[in-house]
Amino acid sequence: MTHLEEELKELKQQVTKMFVLVHSQLEKSYLSLQNLDKDIAHEILMTEKRVNALELKIDLDCENYLALYNPVAVDLRYVLAVLKINSNLERIGDIAEGIARFVIDSSTTFSNELIMHTHTNQMFDVSLKMIQDAEDAFINEDTSLARIVFKQDVILDNININANNNIINFIKNNPDDLEQCLHILSTIRKLERVGDQAKNIAEEIIFYIEAKVIKHSRKL
Amino acid sequence: MNHSIIKKITQAIAFNIFRIMSVILVAILFSILAFIVYRGASYITWDFITKMPEEGMTKGGIFPAIVGTLSLVAGSMIVAFPLGVCSGIYINEYAPENGFKRFIKLMTNNLAGVPSIVFGLFGMSLFVNTLKFGDSIIAGSLTLGLLALPVIIRVTEEALKSIDKTYREASYALGATKLQTIVKVVLPMSMPNILTGLILSIGRVSGETAPILFTVAAYFLPKLPTSIFDQVMALPYHLYVLSTSGTNMEESRGMAYGTALVLIIIVLILNLIANIIRHFLMKKIKHK
Amino acid sequence: MIEAKNLNLYYGAFHALKDINLKVAEKSVTALIGPSGCGKSTFLRTFNRMNDLIPGVKIEGDIIVDDENIYQKGIDVDRLRKRVGMVFQKPNPFAKSIFENVAYGMRVNGISNEKVIKEAVEQSLKQSALWDEVKDSLKKSAYALSGGQQQRLCIARALAVEPTILLMDEPASALDPISTAKIEELIHELKKKYTILIVTHNMQQAARVSDFTAFFYMGSLIEYDLTKTIFTNPAKQQTQNYVTGRFG
Repeated sequence: MTHLEEELKELKQQVTKMFVLVHSQLEKSYLSLQNLDKDIAHEILMTEKRVNALELKIDLDCENYLALYNPVAVDLRYVLAVLKINSNLERIGDIAEGIARFVIDSSTTFSNELIMHTHTNQMFDVSLKMIQDAEDAFINEDTSLARIVFKQDVILDNININANNNIINFIKNNPDDLEQCLHILSTIRKLERVGDQAKNIAEEIIFYIEAKVIKHSRKL
Repeated sequence: MNHSIIKKITQAIAFNIFRIMSVILVAILFSILAFIVYRGASYITWDFITKMPEEGMTKGGIFPAIVGTLSLVAGSMIVAFPLGVCSGIYINEYAPENGFKRFIKLMTNNLAGVPSIVFGLFGMSLFVNTLKFGDSIIAGSLTLGLLALPVIIRVTEEALKSIDKTYREASYALGATKLQTIVKVVLPMSMPNILTGLILSIGRVSGETAPILFTVAAYFLPKLPTSIFDQVMALPYHLYVLSTSGTNMEESRGMAYGTALVLIIIVLILNLIANIIRHFLMKKIKHK
Repeated sequence: MIEAKNLNLYYGAFHALKDINLKVAEKSVTALIGPSGCGKSTFLRTFNRMNDLIPGVKIEGDIIVDDENIYQKGIDVDRLRKRVGMVFQKPNPFAKSIFENVAYGMRVNGISNEKVIKEAVEQSLKQSALWDEVKDSLKKSAYALSGGQQQRLCIARALAVEPTILLMDEPASALDPISTAKIEELIHELKKKYTILIVTHNMQQAARVSDFTAFFYMGSLIEYDLTKTIFTNPAKQQTQNYVTGRFG
């Protein structure tokens, strides 16, 4: 392996670390929301600093790689993709942090009924699965797996569209839980954005491996 | 008229002049060679090459003259080659850039232009008379060696100069001294070019008559030399004698052509041998 | 430990190097860059006193190699050059066999034990990543090799006298891209054992192979820093202009 390839491998390890970190942040936010576990929520806020630091490190590595090695073709697309994947992952990290803040602000436990009724649990499951698939697609350079990420986004979109009605129905029956309902609605909106970020990541993976731009187009 | 047509015509005229000139040159050379082969070929027999001359050189062979010429060529090169190469190395590698060096180079060039008869007279007075070598192979070889010296010095100098300085630097960079660098790196690389000078010198030396006239050449000596202090016959002088002052010039005319042909063949063979060596060395050092 | 202290160099009246101060990091690659005539090659050649060969050169200041000022009186230059190997711009193997090229440095330094020489030749050729390509043709002329192989042979030749420092004067500028990549990869390997100084006209090459970069302009050292810094955020405007190609 030439030392250029070693540098690329090193970069890949950093990005993989970022995937794992962000995935665990979102997973923890789910956990803390289910049990109103404020300790976990605080832990998320602490770890968010690490996510930000890692984002800066990957950005700097990309800058150095571009400046020192003048990559072309697949190497160039790879570094460009990594730059964007990196910023998408950082935003997912921000979302996990946002959810953790709802947990900290909330005075009462989120009722299981509310979570089930609004399909928030399903939304967490799907978005975590999407991040996991994007990570596997990135590690194994598997574009068919990246394409599966798109399909899952439809589920999130549907839940999101029906969220208003679901929440309204729930408020009608439980008018005291208004604060809870607003937090859950915001959480649903945020998780919908996680889906978009995961989709963007999948697009970047396909861009660097197949040199195809599928952004803003319906064809896959 | 169109400019490009003028250019084409000028070019065509120039090339044709060059072509005609070279054809004329080759034609002259070939007619001389053909003439000598035509007149001399019939005389070349095994006996002619291996027998002593007989009956006032009108019969028999030219064996002692062949041996004489070969020993003079060898002798003069033994004298001139090491001396010339060493001088060339000194001038190019060691002599400081000053007036003395320029003076040496000027003298070397002048020496190359001195008429060969002057070398002959010098050789006679120094080697034959002052050093008391008498008319001998050694006196003749030294004289011919001096004649060849300037060419070999010049060629050595140029050959050394043409070696890129990066080879010397590479050798110094490995901790080699100047002498090691010259002997082990520079000299082997310049050898093919130095040999080119040697080839030219051999051609010149083997055909010279004037320098050997007073220093070695025997008019008629039907025996082989036994030491370097003996006189010998030599092909160019023998040829001169046969065609100007033989006992019976009409009778020996044919032999003269035979002798000339043998001389030409010997020069060709010596050149060929030197060229093969040169080619072999070139192959060893030539860049791809 | 290699260092230049207040180094000034003159070619006759021409002031070619102006007050250079530079500490070279050990076991790393330092690239010297700058436009033609900026003094980078001259500077490189002060480390093995190659400039001594040019008449009219005057040097002031110190060059320290292994705690020793190599310009002080009584320095054995031939011994110094054993410690400081050099590779040149054009591959310049000698008119000898592959084996004898590598053995040359040992022979001129008085090593005559054939077994020692043989082992060192093999070791050097392995280090320069040429062994597998030439191990069956060591007796062949060095000129039978390709340009890139010849340059690696020259590197092996320099390694055979066991230097600690390697000077490289545009070692890949006469080679095709594939051979260049091999040489660069080799430099990357060699820095584990040697301190390497490399002059290059090719900025991308400096960026790819070096850990530190020194930018020279008109005989002065303008900037010396981590290569990463020089190529992403140089401190001086002149350096920025040069590395971005906006020079002049």
